[in-house]
Amino acid sequence: MDINLQIKSLLSEAELYRSQGLFSEAKDKYHAASAMIHKIDRLKNKDSLLKAISGKIQSLEEKTAKVETGPGSPELSKKGQNLIKSLFGENDMQQAVALAKFGQFERAIVELTALLKDDVYRVDAGKNIIRCKMAIASVDDAIDQYNQWYSGDLFTVSQLETIRTYLQPILDKKGIDKPLPVPVNERAELNATADSGGIEFSMPEPEEEILDISSIGITFTSGSQKGKMVEFDVNFQSGKMLSLIISKNDKGLIDDLKDGDELEEIQFYSPIAMFKGMAVIASKTQIKTGPKQGDFCLDLKITST
Amino acid sequence: MAIFNLKKREIECKIVYYGPGRCGKTTNLEYIFKSYKKQVTGEMVSINTEGDRTLFFDFLPMGLGKIKDCDIRVQLYTVPGQIKYSSTRKLVLRGVDGIVFVADSLEVRRQKNMISLKDLQTNLKEYGKSIFKIPLVIQHNKRDLADEGIPLMTIEQMERDLNRQLKVPSFPGSAVKGTGVGVTLKACLMETLKSLQREFKWAK
Ligand SMILES: Nc1nc2c(ncn2[C@@H]2O[C@H](COP(=O)(O)OP(=O)(O)OP(=O)(O)O)[C@@H](O)[C@H]2O)c(=O)[nH]1
Ligand SMILES: [Mg+2]
Repeated sequence: MDINLQIKSLLSEAELYRSQGLFSEAKDKYHAASAMIHKIDRLKNKDSLLKAISGKIQSLEEKTAKVETGPGSPELSKKGQNLIKSLFGENDMQQAVALAKFGQFERAIVELTALLKDDVYRVDAGKNIIRCKMAIASVDDAIDQYNQWYSGDLFTVSQLETIRTYLQPILDKKGIDKPLPVPVNERAELNATADSGGIEFSMPEPEEEILDISSIGITFTSGSQKGKMVEFDVNFQSGKMLSLIISKNDKGLIDDLKDGDELEEIQFYSPIAMFKGMAVIASKTQIKTGPKQGDFCLDLKITST
Repeated sequence: MAIFNLKKREIECKIVYYGPGRCGKTTNLEYIFKSYKKQVTGEMVSINTEGDRTLFFDFLPMGLGKIKDCDIRVQLYTVPGQIKYSSTRKLVLRGVDGIVFVADSLEVRRQKNMISLKDLQTNLKEYGKSIFKIPLVIQHNKRDLADEGIPLMTIEQMERDLNRQLKVPSFPGSAVKGTGVGVTLKACLMETLKSLQREFKWAK
């Protein structure tokens, strides 16, 4: 091909890639064109051509930098946030967590704080508030928050202990040497001071470390659904107990399940890992009142992972 | 996962447009939004960042009316293609029922297509799903650029790169011009509804 035509086609390619936001591809073509121009001895406007191309390359570099340093997760409008809530969460807790997952931490904290009032959600809301604080502010903010809860009376001792056993390993891992005060119940405290001989007092059993599980996939090994895997969201978790709310419309999926059944093939999904395990059905009940009336609550106890 | 309300005979399913950055996912949705007014049931929402790149997702709700006496509603999503938004891609993929993989026909994007398809496979796997089993169609996008002398891969080459093992339905397309956009979506919906039928027997 005629060298002039080659240069022309390289330049038009570069221009197209630029217009489509393919900056590094555009730059490559401009460099190739410029190398070719350099090699031609007698070209009328060689210098001005080369200058124009290097200007284009420069502007591409600026654009690339802008894209690369673009905000990771900007604060969205309230409308955008509401959309995220409705698209990515079914209950209040999931909606608040969805906000956090999309980096809308401020609003997530507001909603999670409201959920602290609810006994069912309190611990999970607390943990997620800690998570959000670490994401937007600092570990110190998270520690302050814990201490504030520690001196208040919103949480029961065992609830607060769950939060402590969540936060402390994070601090340890970051090499932050700040032991969080361990919640103890007043009785134990009294005993301890009365008996200064140094008798060990009972502490709440720290819950065995189990990951937060966001959803599970159950593969049915018998019954009408045999061989199928069905995914369910976990609505609430406390240690090894998982509660799933299953819509009455999906009743067919769980018809074959009854209390005490072993589920041998479960896939657990958590935000940081996936693993297989087994669980037993602790209870299956139909919700009698409230907005979820008619839906089913399925409690599972994880037996092995 | 699709939401069923068999008593009211309603199904809502989720279709995700996946593919490398700048391949034309958002453009597909924009064209659908403009051209299928009767089926579109709400606003298209785009959450963008610098240079019109998708940051979180695009979202477009549609209603297909009744099929086999069942009211079918569809939510279309796109993922952000930029490599760095990997965790958002995974988030958006959650509960997906069908996928349109938009491949970029530009020769310079060959590698990126393959990386993105692999990324799709990995993300599906993390949700316990197999790329071989999920309803999937491929669109070879930007075919219009052949007329402008821009180097494109041949369809044969793209099929070899991306569809040799998958063997899923695939279509040439030009999202800016609108060619192939409708057939791609229709094929994906067909595959998805077929698969939901196998699984849940909604159409009696
Ligand atoms: N010529 C041509 N250009 C296209 C076509 N489809 C998309 N484009 C252009 O390619 C660029 C990127 O398109 P988008 O739809 O934003 O791509 P995307 O896949 O959503 O990109 P990300 O959000 O960054 O992942 C835009 O400049 C579009 O105009 C097509 O079929 N033909
Ligand atoms: Mg996009």
